[in-house]
Amino acid sequence: MKQQGIAGAMQAQGIADARKAEAVSAASVGLVSCEACQLLSRPANVHEPGYCRRCGEKLEFRRPRSIQHTWALVVAAAICYIPANALPVFTTTTLGEEEPDTILSGVAFLYTSGSWPLALIVLVASVMIPLGKLAALAYLLITVQRGSVANNRERTQLYRIVEFIGRWSMLDVFVAAFTVALVQLAPLTSVAPGAGVLFFAAVVVLTMLAAETFDARLIWDAGVRHGAPHG
Amino acid sequence: MEPRMAEELDQDDLPKAAVTRRKRLRISVIWVIPVLAALVAIGIAIQRLRAEGPTITIVMHEANGVEAGKTFIRYKDVRIGLVSAVELSEDYSKVLVKAKIAKHAAGLMVSDAKFWVVEPRISLSGVSGLSTLLSGNYIGFQAGKSSETQSLFFALEEPPIITDQPGRQFVLKAPTLGSIGIGTPIYYRRLTVGQVAGYSLTPDGQSVLLTVFVNAPYDKYVTTETRFWSVSGVEISLNADGLRVRTESVAALLAGGIAFDLPEFARAGATPALANAEFTLYRYRAIAMKEPTLMERRFVLYFNESVRGLSVGAPVTLYGMQVGEVTEVGLTFNQKTVSFRPRVVVTFLPERVVADLPTGERTRAGKSLAELPAEDRMQMLRRVVEDQGLRAQLRTGSYLTGELYVAFEYFPDAPKAKVDWAKDPLELPVVPGALASIEAKLNSVLSKVDQLPLDSISRDLRTALASLNQTLKDASTLVNRVDTQWVPEGTKTLEDLRRAIGDANIAVKNADATLFSRDSATPQDLRDTLQEVTRAARSIRVLMDYLERHPDALIRGKTETK
Repeated sequence: MKQQGIAGAMQAQGIADARKAEAVSAASVGLVSCEACQLLSRPANVHEPGYCRRCGEKLEFRRPRSIQHTWALVVAAAICYIPANALPVFTTTTLGEEEPDTILSGVAFLYTSGSWPLALIVLVASVMIPLGKLAALAYLLITVQRGSVANNRERTQLYRIVEFIGRWSMLDVFVAAFTVALVQLAPLTSVAPGAGVLFFAAVVVLTMLAAETFDARLIWDAGVRHGAPHG
Repeated sequence: MEPRMAEELDQDDLPKAAVTRRKRLRISVIWVIPVLAALVAIGIAIQRLRAEGPTITIVMHEANGVEAGKTFIRYKDVRIGLVSAVELSEDYSKVLVKAKIAKHAAGLMVSDAKFWVVEPRISLSGVSGLSTLLSGNYIGFQAGKSSETQSLFFALEEPPIITDQPGRQFVLKAPTLGSIGIGTPIYYRRLTVGQVAGYSLTPDGQSVLLTVFVNAPYDKYVTTETRFWSVSGVEISLNADGLRVRTESVAALLAGGIAFDLPEFARAGATPALANAEFTLYRYRAIAMKEPTLMERRFVLYFNESVRGLSVGAPVTLYGMQVGEVTEVGLTFNQKTVSFRPRVVVTFLPERVVADLPTGERTRAGKSLAELPAEDRMQMLRRVVEDQGLRAQLRTGSYLTGELYVAFEYFPDAPKAKVDWAKDPLELPVVPGALASIEAKLNSVLSKVDQLPLDSISRDLRTALASLNQTLKDASTLVNRVDTQWVPEGTKTLEDLRRAIGDANIAVKNADATLFSRDSATPQDLRDTLQEVTRAARSIRVLMDYLERHPDALIRGKTETK
């Protein structure tokens, strides 16, 4: 009933009415929605909401310690991001001459050798997106912790983008893995993976996990006081 | 004690237990992840920092293919550093190459360490740095001996040839570099024992100083008396001994080289040379191995003939042996006679006079000559010149090239020479050269020919010829006359003669027949008569024999034999 009300309000009345709808959430009225199948049910107990009747998923008002976990993962990803960029991703050996390449030197090489579109792609995919993800997650966490009520919709959209992009960020790691596996024409040329690629993969995995751990429902909880534990 | 105290307490004062657990600062296990990430990252950073040695700056004139992040510094082919930046100096005149040195090689960065860019070098004496063709240039390094660490270095323009080999370095002084370059081999008895490490001009710019490095153990053969000479190319000498070609190896033929050896005469006083000792680089072996002249005298010769073909260094001979050389050739002007005369200064090396003696004796003889008092020597020379007729003469050494030399020879018949014995250098008398005297004779012949009255002779000759012509004409007439007049008569006479001869023949035949025919009596008579005559002659001989033995028989008559 309530769910229909929220949905109807959001769909029919637009942003102005949606703001009104912010005041009401499942948790604020003592209900819990299943994260897997979105079934709204009454919790068995306030502290232990129990399991979803439909799909068997463990029910939670909010993911326990979501913010803390997300922070930890974001911090870990941020730490890994530094060596990911400082250490070489590849070491190309051409005719006995070893040439280590970091992500940024690869971008610089592509740019100076004239293929700026490629350079742009690598720059966006390997540098800007991980960095953007980290910044976006940090922004969401801070705003949630501060109980911000502004731009809730935009923040939700941002979260969706972060979650969507996450799976594509592994592209770089795959390219590295393929290149290393394929380009083994020793002694003419060969490519060996550098430590940077491990850290880069760690950044991608950690940000994906961080995005997964972050409970987007928290964005809407600000200003809505309820008894459910969070944080 | 405790239960008693508990009883005393007011129950209401105690806090009521909470239904829910008190909120505690619960730190999630998930924080292990960032801590682990941080630890790993810090660990790597520490490892990096620990592995990182000092950063040095190498100043170069040109970058020469040195690239940041690609060019390594190698020592004994081990990478000890990587160029991190290549930039221009503030005044844009130099290149500053910044390089990160590996931690393990940090101790090598001392003040006398040397850096240079290794690039492929292809020269006649060898190919070096070929690996750089594929890998790009790298920076070579030579460790120093100092213990003072430094971070600013100046790169060498040329790689030092000598790195850590044992041996000694020497300095050679040469008038020109010739075909010698860095890496030019040094030969000792045709063994390659070292190489030229570098060269520079002397401060006055008048000669070249070559730094050569002789590897151990050959460096001990370099002594204070060792002579170095250049073996660049081929040494061809064409002299009285014939054609002689000397080369070292084929490499030296193409690329040049330096050889050294110890001359036989200097073996006695030779002690091992000190490192960096200076030697003269001679042009070729013959000059290098020449004995030093112990004593020399200079004489002036004034010739009265052309000295074309006489050059400085031309030999001065005595009985064909070289005893000195021409040191000056020029003209002088005599104001009294207002005439030019060639003036030739010769250096006379007295010990060459005794050149055929063994080395020791030769040296002694030379010394004894040198030890004679100057007056005695002068007296000796005076006797030789005035009494024995020692004279200088210009002679042609080679008719092909027209090279002249100065020969001293005894001319006892030469006109007495006036020598001013007080002059220094002494002027010695000369006689005209062989060619000059031939020339003079030819001249006199020619002048005599010139003086002949050829005109009158030819005139007389013409007259004579005319009269001869006339005579011939007369003769011709005579012959004609003989033909026309005498011959017919002659023919008749001859016929008469033939007839007369025929008659005579017949007469002779008749006489023959008459005298010697068998049936005539005349031969018998003649034979008898001849026998008679023979008998008479025999009697006369007997008589004459008897008379010879007994002349007195003419007076006393024949005596009876007893």
